[in-house]
Amino acid sequence: MRGAPVEVLQRVPLFADLSLEELQQIALLFKERDFEAGETIIQEGSGGSAFYVIEAGEATVSIHGTPHSTLGAGDFFGEIALIDDGTRMATITAASRLDCYGLTYWDFRPLVEANGVIGWKLLQRMAMMLRDARGG
Amino acid sequence: MSRVVPLEAALELSRFGAKAVGLGQALRDGLPVPSGFALAADLVEAVAGGDDDAIAEVLVAVGGLDGPLAVRSSAIDEDGVAASFAGQHLTLLNVPSLEALAEALRAVWWSANSDAAISYRKRVGLFSRPSVGVVVQTLLSPVSAGVMFTRHPVTGADERVIEASWGLGEAVVAGLVIPDHICLDRAGQVRECRPGYKAVAIRPLAGGGTQEEKLPPELVEQLCLDEAQLLALNRLALRCEEVYGPGRDLEWAFADGTLVLLQCRAITKAGP
Repeated sequence: MRGAPVEVLQRVPLFADLSLEELQQIALLFKERDFEAGETIIQEGSGGSAFYVIEAGEATVSIHGTPHSTLGAGDFFGEIALIDDGTRMATITAASRLDCYGLTYWDFRPLVEANGVIGWKLLQRMAMMLRDARGG
Repeated sequence: MSRVVPLEAALELSRFGAKAVGLGQALRDGLPVPSGFALAADLVEAVAGGDDDAIAEVLVAVGGLDGPLAVRSSAIDEDGVAASFAGQHLTLLNVPSLEALAEALRAVWWSANSDAAISYRKRVGLFSRPSVGVVVQTLLSPVSAGVMFTRHPVTGADERVIEASWGLGEAVVAGLVIPDHICLDRAGQVRECRPGYKAVAIRPLAGGGTQEEKLPPELVEQLCLDEAQLLALNRLALRCEEVYGPGRDLEWAFADGTLVLLQCRAITKAGP
């Protein structure tokens, strides 16, 4: 199957303001990626270029070596890497076999650059997420 | 323009990557490279994206290969840095069938987009879209395999440096064993021979993938190459230097009594 199911992406807050058609465009850019239990998916401090949505399985999040949370189906991680090219802020490890859909910076950026409407909606959503984060 | 070609027809670095073009050149020059196919980077990406037409294109083109398969990444040369991508991108040994090939290609594509690969690219000043071709060959099940430098990679001395172990050469490349270490002069005479400590060999698994096999005690410190095989390796070194020039870094294997060349690239760092 090409891309990710739209209903999976509809659960991602970053994409919450996008129309169905806009989501469909983004969904086509995703590629499946599977991880084995115990595999480190992203490493705190490393470079990264991909964002992942979990279709099935569980992953653990740790920050500075301290367990932080557990992710499961429908959860997502690595979205900041879609916007900037900064370093990863947490380590994510597959706690079981993990089926994901991944979207790379290289695929996402041209779409946003070519589509100002999508770009603006993402910007608004990011601003809202920033407000929420500052509000504690 | 075909996106899957027999290795000997892989000519364009920008489409098929350094490994595929290098092996294609070796075949055209009569070197003993196992036959196989080169897949262009855009096709690999389409397969990774789940494009059914692309998957069908691959399966039709490589359908003549006997399984199991070796699927090797072939980094596209970007600003001349591809040679230093060694170890960053995935090689999958023992892909059990054509049915599993699409998944293997997806894994190779993602390996070029992994955090480790992206971090590496940033370190070498390259933050741009990765692109990776693929080489697909029938998997060998070698008796012994390893690497050979056609001159000393550290001192630059004019001698062959061979590191060898039992089974697939990945045991040497991945540092799982202390390999046999042999230096030959240009005439093929042994200058130095130090048996290693080879407690394991990597072998293909019946259902796909590989496993570390514990070796019987009598093989652990026994040299895995005989005199005739050392002479064959020296002839291969000579031939590679004739074709490519001095200072080559080779991966090789002895399978079914035959020496085959798996990779030939420039030594990235050699002494004076």
